[in-house]
Amino acid sequence: MKPTVGFAGMTHLGLVSAAAVAGQGFKVVCFDGDQALVDRLAQRQWPVLEPGLDELIRSNGARQHFTAAPGDLAACDVIYVAPDVPTDDQGRSDVTGLTALIHSTAAAMNPAAIMVVLSQVPPGYTRTLGVTPPERLYYQVETLVFGQAVERATKPERTIVGCADPARPLDPSLRAVLEAFGCPILPMRYESAELAKISINCCLVASVTVANTLAELCERIGADWCEIAPALKLDRRIGSHAYLAPGLGIAGGNLERDLATIQRLADSRGTEAGIIAAWLRNSRYRRDWPLRQLQERVRGVDPVIGVLGVTYKENTHSIKNSPAVALIKALTGYRLASFDPVVRASAEWHPRLTVADDPLAACDGADAVAIMTPWPLFRMLKPVDLARRMRGRVVIDPFAMLDRAAAVAAGLDHIVLGAPLAGDRQ
Amino acid sequence: MTLSHKQCDAVKPARIVVLGAGGFLGRRLLAACAATGVETAGLGSRELDLTAPDAGAQLGQWLRPRDVLVFLAALTPDKGRDSAALMRNLAMGRAVCEATRSVELAQLIYASSDAVYSFATTLISEDTPAIPLDLYGAMHRTRELMLAAEAKAPLAILRLTAIYGADDTHNSYGPNRFIRQALKDGRIALFGNGEETRDHLYVDDAVDLILKTALRGSTGVLNLVTGKSESFRAVADLVAAQAGRPTEVVPSARQNPATHRHFDVTNLMRAFPGTRFKPLADGLAATVGEIRA
Repeated sequence: MKPTVGFAGMTHLGLVSAAAVAGQGFKVVCFDGDQALVDRLAQRQWPVLEPGLDELIRSNGARQHFTAAPGDLAACDVIYVAPDVPTDDQGRSDVTGLTALIHSTAAAMNPAAIMVVLSQVPPGYTRTLGVTPPERLYYQVETLVFGQAVERATKPERTIVGCADPARPLDPSLRAVLEAFGCPILPMRYESAELAKISINCCLVASVTVANTLAELCERIGADWCEIAPALKLDRRIGSHAYLAPGLGIAGGNLERDLATIQRLADSRGTEAGIIAAWLRNSRYRRDWPLRQLQERVRGVDPVIGVLGVTYKENTHSIKNSPAVALIKALTGYRLASFDPVVRASAEWHPRLTVADDPLAACDGADAVAIMTPWPLFRMLKPVDLARRMRGRVVIDPFAMLDRAAAVAAGLDHIVLGAPLAGDRQ
Repeated sequence: MTLSHKQCDAVKPARIVVLGAGGFLGRRLLAACAATGVETAGLGSRELDLTAPDAGAQLGQWLRPRDVLVFLAALTPDKGRDSAALMRNLAMGRAVCEATRSVELAQLIYASSDAVYSFATTLISEDTPAIPLDLYGAMHRTRELMLAAEAKAPLAILRLTAIYGADDTHNSYGPNRFIRQALKDGRIALFGNGEETRDHLYVDDAVDLILKTALRGSTGVLNLVTGKSESFRAVADLVAAQAGRPTEVVPSARQNPATHRHFDVTNLMRAFPGTRFKPLADGLAATVGEIRA
């Protein structure tokens, strides 16, 4: 008989992860102490934007049950504790809410059940919890990616499980849940698993930083990163899925949190981690790439800038550390018009900001347009339409959403990350 | 660490007092302040010896409440690179600190230098650690720390890169010396082939930014740089082309490895959006034109 699985905490991570487990045929109890949230979930009002989430939960049907009653968790064999952990501007996690939920869940769960902490925690956290006997407490690495969360949760590459003692066999109920996903299971010490998650993110940041560093050089020497990246991906030591797309620095909060964690750990334990500061410096510098491009290219009196996209990436509501928001705030002295398909720009960000109802309306009369978020709908824009609606010719398109040949043919100055600049250096 | 403004819009201060008013930059700044209609006062070394033991008290008597004090005065490297020059410069800094304790200033603007930075292999920004390589850079950094710790006034530190323009009395390696050499001898002497890259700021651009800092009541740290470094060879070629007489650019055997310095000007763009710098070729042409006139 399949174990019953509980999830405590119905924000982004918990909701998507619970749906993925239910999708494997398990009965899943989805608990959150916020009755209003549970009511909304019961009405299929999801608090996050994730492609495929609605369809997945719909197909789960009665297997996935939402409740605000902690007593419902008593029926579960395996309980994941999975609230989103907030971070501050310094990338520090606030685990207060998580810890409280772990304790209340421990009080509500069946004494024979096992608890799995799924929320990301700082190394050393799980072993000090002491809420259940160690052999019934696990930490599992989450690999949530905003905008791809359903894909990542339903088709994980591997499962990393932190255990009090990895030499002991995994609990059979937990093993049954994990094996349903058909991927390698890697048990290890709590501390190793906690650091493994951060290690993954550090590798990703390293790759992106390499891409950003070399992409900028491309812009200055007439090389094109788009031509180089495929060659790197064919190198087995780098790999076809390597993060080699240049971007506007790291954003969203999760990677920043991990880098801050490493810096704090290295500082307190006396290890050398200077490279983290270099990554962060590069990230901040690349975040402002559109600002530098605009300042260099936009002249005239009282210029108007169109900003397409506000979220930090596509397919999310999140604006945490969004380069678009940073750009809007920095463009004092300009008039702005913005458009984003899911987030309305705030008047608090800029005193002369208007919000348009569609992307082309945000381009009306603009001296320059910056396409700050790679929303798929921006790929549908025709450069000739932009050229017709704009007053100027400058299109800052870091992610190459417009067809380059068509943009040039439309007479636009099409500025792309990692591509040779047409004029002088920025 | 960057500049923040007290006022969203430019507001004329009660008075702007310039220390180092007799210098190249000071004269231009005074003229620009006067042109904006702000009451100005300039103090040069003739009026007040800032190295004197009682200079702080004397300066305090000059100042009025709500003045903006712009501290440009310094013995530049052409007047001495040794520890004696260092100590005299620090004495000036101490005098300014002392003076600010006797009168409530609206703002203190300190004209520091990019010499507070070492030659890094990365772009220099205001966040780059200030690790000076010589006594001149150490002097500016020490003055910055003195003012931050002891001056009783809202403090703006502006780290200027090398400025150029007519009337510059310094003869340091770069645009000013090249122009003199070209006009006098028709020959510009380079170290090596002038491969080193540096940022060169036209004096009027520097003045404009200092004035904006005063009018906005800004505090914090900002590098006054253009963000576009050029090699000394490129500068020399531009000067030769503008000199109005045949001018030879003469390389020499390189004695030391070439060093480069590039700046990230993002914070300047945030502080003063829309800032435009005079292109180097135009600035050199204007300088040559002024000198020839």
